[in-house]
Amino acid sequence: MNTKSLIAVISTALLMGSMYAQEATKNDATKQETSPKPAPATSAGVATNWKQIAIPTLPPFKPQEPKRIVFPNGIVIFLTENHELPLISGSAMIRGGAASEPASKTGLVELYGATWRTGGTTKLSGDQLDDYLEARAAKVETSGSEESTSISFNCLKGDFNDVLGIFVNLMRNPAFREDKLALAKKQMNSSISRRNDESEDIASMQQDILGYGKQSAYARVPEYATVAAVTHDDLLQWHKQHTTPNNIIFGVVGDFDSKEMEATLRKVFGDWVKGEKVPETKVAIAPEKPGIYVVDKSDVNQSEIRMIGLGIVRKNPDYYALQVMNEIFGGGFSSRLFSNLRTKAGLAYSVGGGVGSGWDHQGLTVLEIGTKTETTTEAIKGLWEQVDLLKKEAPTELELKRAKDAILNSFIFNFDTPAKVLREQETYEFYGYPRDFLEQYRNGVEKVTAADVLRVANKYVHKDELKVLVVGNASEFTKQLATLGTVTPIDITIPTPEITVSTNKATGNTSEGKAAVAKFVEAMGGANMVNAVKTLHQSISLIQQGMEVKLDQSIVYPDKQAQKMTLPQGEMKRVVTPSAAFMAMGAQVRDLPPSERSSEAASLKRDFLNVLQHAGDSKYTFSASGKEKLGDAEAIVVEVNADGAKSQWWIGPDGKLLQEEFSEVGQTGPTTLTMKYSDWKSFDGLQYPTKYEMVNGGQPVAKMTLSSMEVNAAVDPKLFEKPAQVAQ
Amino acid sequence: MIRLRAYLPLLVLFCALQTGLAQDLASFEKRVQVKTLPNGLTVLLLQRPQAPVFSFFTVVDAGDAQDPMGKTGLAHMMEHMAFKGTNNIGTTDIAAETAALVKVERAYADYDRENNRVVNQDEKKVAELKAAWEKARQDADQYVVKNEFGEIIERNGGVGLNASTGLDSTQYFYSLPANRLELWAYLESERFLHPVMREFYKERDVVMEERRMRTDSSPTGRLVEQFLSAAYDGSPYHRPGIGYMSDLRHFSATDAAEFFKTYYVPSNMAVAVVGDLDADKTFAVIERYFGRIPSGPKPEEYITAQTKQNSERTVLLHDPSQPFYIEGYQRPNFRDKDDPVYSVISSVMSEGRTSRLYRTLVRDKKIAVASAGFSGFPGDKYRNLYAFYAVPSQDHTATEMANAIHEVVERLKSDGVTPDELKMVKTRSKAALLRSLANNQGLAINLAENQLKYGDWRELFRRIEKIDAVTNEDVRRVANEVFVNTNRTVGILETNKSTAKGAQQ
Repeated sequence: MNTKSLIAVISTALLMGSMYAQEATKNDATKQETSPKPAPATSAGVATNWKQIAIPTLPPFKPQEPKRIVFPNGIVIFLTENHELPLISGSAMIRGGAASEPASKTGLVELYGATWRTGGTTKLSGDQLDDYLEARAAKVETSGSEESTSISFNCLKGDFNDVLGIFVNLMRNPAFREDKLALAKKQMNSSISRRNDESEDIASMQQDILGYGKQSAYARVPEYATVAAVTHDDLLQWHKQHTTPNNIIFGVVGDFDSKEMEATLRKVFGDWVKGEKVPETKVAIAPEKPGIYVVDKSDVNQSEIRMIGLGIVRKNPDYYALQVMNEIFGGGFSSRLFSNLRTKAGLAYSVGGGVGSGWDHQGLTVLEIGTKTETTTEAIKGLWEQVDLLKKEAPTELELKRAKDAILNSFIFNFDTPAKVLREQETYEFYGYPRDFLEQYRNGVEKVTAADVLRVANKYVHKDELKVLVVGNASEFTKQLATLGTVTPIDITIPTPEITVSTNKATGNTSEGKAAVAKFVEAMGGANMVNAVKTLHQSISLIQQGMEVKLDQSIVYPDKQAQKMTLPQGEMKRVVTPSAAFMAMGAQVRDLPPSERSSEAASLKRDFLNVLQHAGDSKYTFSASGKEKLGDAEAIVVEVNADGAKSQWWIGPDGKLLQEEFSEVGQTGPTTLTMKYSDWKSFDGLQYPTKYEMVNGGQPVAKMTLSSMEVNAAVDPKLFEKPAQVAQ
Repeated sequence: MIRLRAYLPLLVLFCALQTGLAQDLASFEKRVQVKTLPNGLTVLLLQRPQAPVFSFFTVVDAGDAQDPMGKTGLAHMMEHMAFKGTNNIGTTDIAAETAALVKVERAYADYDRENNRVVNQDEKKVAELKAAWEKARQDADQYVVKNEFGEIIERNGGVGLNASTGLDSTQYFYSLPANRLELWAYLESERFLHPVMREFYKERDVVMEERRMRTDSSPTGRLVEQFLSAAYDGSPYHRPGIGYMSDLRHFSATDAAEFFKTYYVPSNMAVAVVGDLDADKTFAVIERYFGRIPSGPKPEEYITAQTKQNSERTVLLHDPSQPFYIEGYQRPNFRDKDDPVYSVISSVMSEGRTSRLYRTLVRDKKIAVASAGFSGFPGDKYRNLYAFYAVPSQDHTATEMANAIHEVVERLKSDGVTPDELKMVKTRSKAALLRSLANNQGLAINLAENQLKYGDWRELFRRIEKIDAVTNEDVRRVANEVFVNTNRTVGILETNKSTAKGAQQ
């Protein structure tokens, strides 16, 4: 998940042209002519049937091959002249990508790709580059991906020297300024927090996990903790180790003279010293167990279904037969999946799939369909049926011919622009494929027979090994789904980051922390008073978004809590005990989702009174990390770890708790909340704050006033019992 | 003195560059040919002999804004039907199939009438009529050769085969090897000469899935539907282009055929072809095939006009997903003389990392992941919205987006744009046009759309001159006229973590 894809998703949603058909898995390469279908056109000049139309022979077309040059320092250059328009563009692929970043720093390469350009050069900041380039309608951009990183430019011919200057400087003297790394991290964290919003994003992430295995570098995604772990130095080191001339393939296309261009590039790259060769990465692949996996998403009425297996490496000689098979099976308007599941059954708008192939590692086999919640099972069975059929019988001669025609007749579109030819050549060079790979592909496809298709279908598509993933409204289909096999729910809760210490002191001081806490105990009325509290019954008035809500809260220390909230639509109850966690409203009872349940339990553990009662327990630690001014008061900041539940306390000079900060995690990720306490009052000797203000990201989000509180009043045990389920 | 000398060569270079650009554009302009066939169809052609391939773009001047009341989504449905073949593509026996399809329509009308009955509905009768309709469909289906139309295109090397329907227009497009010109002319003209409404009701199911995907199951899809229905009243832009679910369950193949008859007439369409083609031969082939489509009057162009807004409107959606903010201001349609001014505003506000919204919300305040402003939401043929949106960063709220966007907009209203910004916008718009010329499909789209919208494809090139003429005064004037509270509709998606079921309707 990255920021770019997120923005793409949102812009697509906004622009919402209702397109007719999604591109189904398309072939990588295809070819020119097979046997045209010549038939005499009618003499009137208008055919009455498409079969009558003569297809003249396509004039021979030899695309211009780029000129390949290798400089002594190892940089490989491809040059393609194209004088149609006064434009020049170029892009460099650099060996090494996210597949080889450390797991504990997942996201490093994406952050590198973002900060490389925005962080500027040692001479000019990224912002200065923006001004300079935009004034020339030019672009220089960088990015990081799985196997490589890249830097590219695009400019008007007249600006080439200016833009090349920037491009080269960025390549050789980047700065990765800290502020831009911080911005990139913020963007990435925001993407993480949004990754559970759309079914498709959830499915794509889980698809990689099921297909390659949780631990595989091909499936890892950045988490808050791994993003936080990336440092400025990591980016500099990455650059130093990878972006050296002998790891770079650089292609330029446009309105220039090749000889002059070569001389220019020698001038700017010639003195660049070779570095270490980037070692090949070996990435472990360990697919998850076959079965049915479900992600519950209650706000959708369509299920996103994927079937996932391992595909092949493109070097595999079966690649050609598989491409033909994919075309027949799931590759377009006339494919079997489209015809049977969309056109005939009306089950889906979006359907397709095939055996995937990667340049240097196995791609994933993915079949996908999006269908209304009610037909989830039917759609799965429909896909399975097509898989069975694919493996049982060879395609008909007609099917085979259609598929091969489609690939071979559209072959020219692989090289109809000089830029495409250049890109192909860069890719072959990067992954060590022969320069005539496209030609080999055409010949390979021509030779594929129906028996080949049947053979590869049985060799590479294994129904028993396919993982079935369903993202959708689980409560409405789980029962039916269970008739197909064991259903494993997937928890997609976004892991909370470790709370970061915001003060300067690197290591905390335990004795100072304990002393501050002891003062806090005194301020509440002393240890005896604090330890004597068994229950609290509180009436709170809560003001949130201009709405006032009455909240009754009963706490039985150490681990039970019941809340009753009076809302316009009725009374809502929320209960958390070690054995249950539910909410009830009217006749409706619902268990809290696991993420919410653990978050509630942590919040109870963090309750300051609860913490103080356990102050002597070895699982509870307090360490002072510094001093901070809060208003007029100088507060001691204490890092509290209450048996795993963490928070920060600001304890004032009089020992009272002024402020508390903690992280809370919801379905969509963690947020840092600050609670400010004031207006302390005595309740039978127990000193307790009565005004609370909750702040999120600098913005006040809620205000609470404690209107009354009873200490150690009897609490009805029935309060914690789960009512019988009347309705689902 | 020294400064002047240092800048002189740069200045000369800049002028030279501008002339060079103009020449390139002019040479392209000269190569475009246009013809109106006797039946009223406008055909545009541009030779681009880079490789033996070509692309085309057919555009129909009708979209979902033209959907009849109670039949929203019909224009889009018709677009899907244009892939179902003709009287000799996609059928084994057109005579028998036609007879069977007539029966399907009769059976459907009976069922639909009874199904919609409010008082004294006979459930048993509804079930019987439904069964009869389904039986009639099965009968008709036996003559169908599935997806033959798309298959012919694909096996002949067609790529990028697709179509789209907007509120304003409907478009069809793909690319083929150059030796398939006549085949294309046959297929594309037959598509609009002899369409057959086969498999209509299955395709309706497909469209319902499309709606579930784009609108019902997508947080921004849900917000946008509500936002537009609040922003517009008289205008058909208040309705979702994809259609309301109940209308999708109601309209018939007869309705689609009627829509087709009214709007798919040559006088209401344009076709552009770009690629390695011989001009004379191509025009001859196109005239032969497309000339067969019977002429018809340009359809009624009246639609209810959008009333001028006089009060701020707000849509607040509590949703389980992360927050999102959008606001829109009513502006005149695309033919307005100030249209280029809006382009300048969009460029300054939204384009690249120098844009004001990026710099303020993303770079400096660090409260958003992305933010931009754009015209023409959801169309631009009629009075429409100039919209701003922002995607909040983690822990930031939609309200913060609103405040920050307003701050940027107010600055535009008071100070306008700087000379540097204006110069940058003008340079970029020329470069963007130049870059768009390197692509057959992109060119076909631009030529056909400009022809349809302005009655003259040259507007594609004239646009640059109009943008060149925009002044800072223009920007301030338009911004002060349009970006005012009473002309605003706000859409807020706010996270509601306890919402278990938020989406469905």
